[in-house]
Amino acid sequence: MAVGKPAKHAVEELTEGQQNRRRMLAWLSSVGLFGSAIISAISNLVFIKPRATYGAPNRFGIGKPDDFPSGTRIALGEHRVCIVREGDKLCAISTTCTHLGCIIAPSETGFACPCHGSRFDQDGNVTGGPAPKPLPWYALSLAPNGELEVDKGTEVGAGTYLKV
Amino acid sequence: MSQATKLPKPGLLTTLKEFPGNVWSSIFRHSLPNSDLGRSQTSFTNFFLHIHPVKVNRNTLKPWYTLGLGLMSFFLFVILTVSGILLMFYYVPATTQAYDRMLDLRGSVAFGTFLRNMHRWGAHFMVAIVFLHMCRVFFTGSYKKPREFNWVVGVMLFLLTLFSSFTGYLLPWDQLAFWAITVGTAIAGYAPVVGQDMRFLLLGDYTVGQEALLRFYVLHIAVLPLLVTVLVSIHFWRIRKDGGLSRPADADAPPQPEIPKKENLAEWPRELEPVAVTASAAPAVNGVPALAVAAKTVAPVLPIEKKHYGIQGLVRGPFTKVGNVPENSVFSWPNLFMAELFVLVLTIAGVLVVSLLFNAPLEEPVNVLHPPNPAKAPWYFLGLQEQVSYSAFWGGVGVPGLEVLILLLAPYLDRSNKGVGKWFAKERLLPNTLFLIFVIVNIVLIIIGTFFRGPNWEFVSPW
Ligand code: FES
Repeated sequence: MAVGKPAKHAVEELTEGQQNRRRMLAWLSSVGLFGSAIISAISNLVFIKPRATYGAPNRFGIGKPDDFPSGTRIALGEHRVCIVREGDKLCAISTTCTHLGCIIAPSETGFACPCHGSRFDQDGNVTGGPAPKPLPWYALSLAPNGELEVDKGTEVGAGTYLKV
Repeated sequence: MSQATKLPKPGLLTTLKEFPGNVWSSIFRHSLPNSDLGRSQTSFTNFFLHIHPVKVNRNTLKPWYTLGLGLMSFFLFVILTVSGILLMFYYVPATTQAYDRMLDLRGSVAFGTFLRNMHRWGAHFMVAIVFLHMCRVFFTGSYKKPREFNWVVGVMLFLLTLFSSFTGYLLPWDQLAFWAITVGTAIAGYAPVVGQDMRFLLLGDYTVGQEALLRFYVLHIAVLPLLVTVLVSIHFWRIRKDGGLSRPADADAPPQPEIPKKENLAEWPRELEPVAVTASAAPAVNGVPALAVAAKTVAPVLPIEKKHYGIQGLVRGPFTKVGNVPENSVFSWPNLFMAELFVLVLTIAGVLVVSLLFNAPLEEPVNVLHPPNPAKAPWYFLGLQEQVSYSAFWGGVGVPGLEVLILLLAPYLDRSNKGVGKWFAKERLLPNTLFLIFVIVNIVLIIIGTFFRGPNWEFVSPW
């Protein structure tokens, strides 16, 4: 009782300025608390987003140009690309279906996806099925050691060939 | 020890003789009840029973009203937790080992196949039962005020159930798993703006591989079960706070409109008595000071016929409360508990029988180069896959997103409070028809996806 009463008095005697200051402090501390809660929630996302991936590398050598005689269309399964050579022109076309990511296989007319029946022509343009985009073409270059190198990190326009 | 000087010190022999009884009564504060007072006290002092109200409305116990679906979902979750924890003893989330561990489970672990069957079929059951539970709640109009938020929690639980199944699906690391996850995460990638990032976060890489396996494992065994547990707790707590299960408005009304007066107390049905007893015999209830105090304080304030729920009468809200006329309610012990026990036995029996008769599928180990043709997702996602084969965005993200949104908003859009507590009430013809169309369309899509789609997702007929 003895303790309770003066405390009650103190509350009543707060001046306008003191009340404002209290409100201000309460406001600041809640901003601080909620702010840090939100920041820590977001930092979780940052944490689970890997900075480096250890999957298949984006750049890889596939052998000498002579390994691909003219007229070949070879799907390199593990790299998910198809190497096409016509005459002295070479290109690398993705074999990951643009629909939902199944692996497509070269067919007579181009490519066919087993999952939902998407069809692509020789250049990777969609000719049927639900695939929304044509197959991307990847940059192909000749490394100093004479090997062909595919860079899956760099997409090039359809019809961009490497001359050898 | 030395403070209790006044009491005669019990001899060693007596201590030993009373030991089992003392331990027992320290855990269970009440013996099996044989009076109505005992019944309410048993519910009141036991943690697990205390989740229940002491009395429930008769309507709650009608088997054809709830079909026990919500409870069944919960028991399935418990079965899945137990069998899942057991499976964790043998599983390694590594691409090099996961599949071999599956074979081990089959070949060299006692009950290995059986537990895996239980876990797999239990999950399938849970998806189905949770969905049916949602249908039940909708068709009886039970999502209405004041249960709107509990419906929202329920919809979230349904989504979590689907997501739990989905994350579990990858773990055996067989062909089915790998391609189902490839397709599934690609669908997530179609979500606007955040899609690709979400997919990357889920997979931890650009393709399905070791990182994805680990992530799905952690989600499956820790994150999702925790979320489900929290939401289920809220779900149950809200049922109590919203005054028990939904029921027709007249379910609370007394059979005879007149509330008995004090003088006729002796003629009241037997069920009523204990509460009157609780109030008058308050000092005798040593084990339950809260109840006793509440009864004491309430007694002088409220007229005697309003004393049936003790402490709950002090709180405002839509609870099973003091004014609730008790003719239409019965004691949870034994009525409700027996019904729950029955549902538990039924659920376990169902899972056991199916697990004994059918083995969970395990396909070839993952072959990253050759998707099976067709690569089908689990049945509950085949409707989605069927939609996706028309349009990746609309089928996979647009339509399902809208459906979920409408489900979440349903109680806030449909605000008439008519026809609650009855299956297919006439007043709810429009909402029920709309929901029925939603259900049928999804079931038809699932059936088409399951039976009518062959290689290259071409239309085939199953006969
Ligand atoms: S993934 Fe190729 S058609 Fe769907």
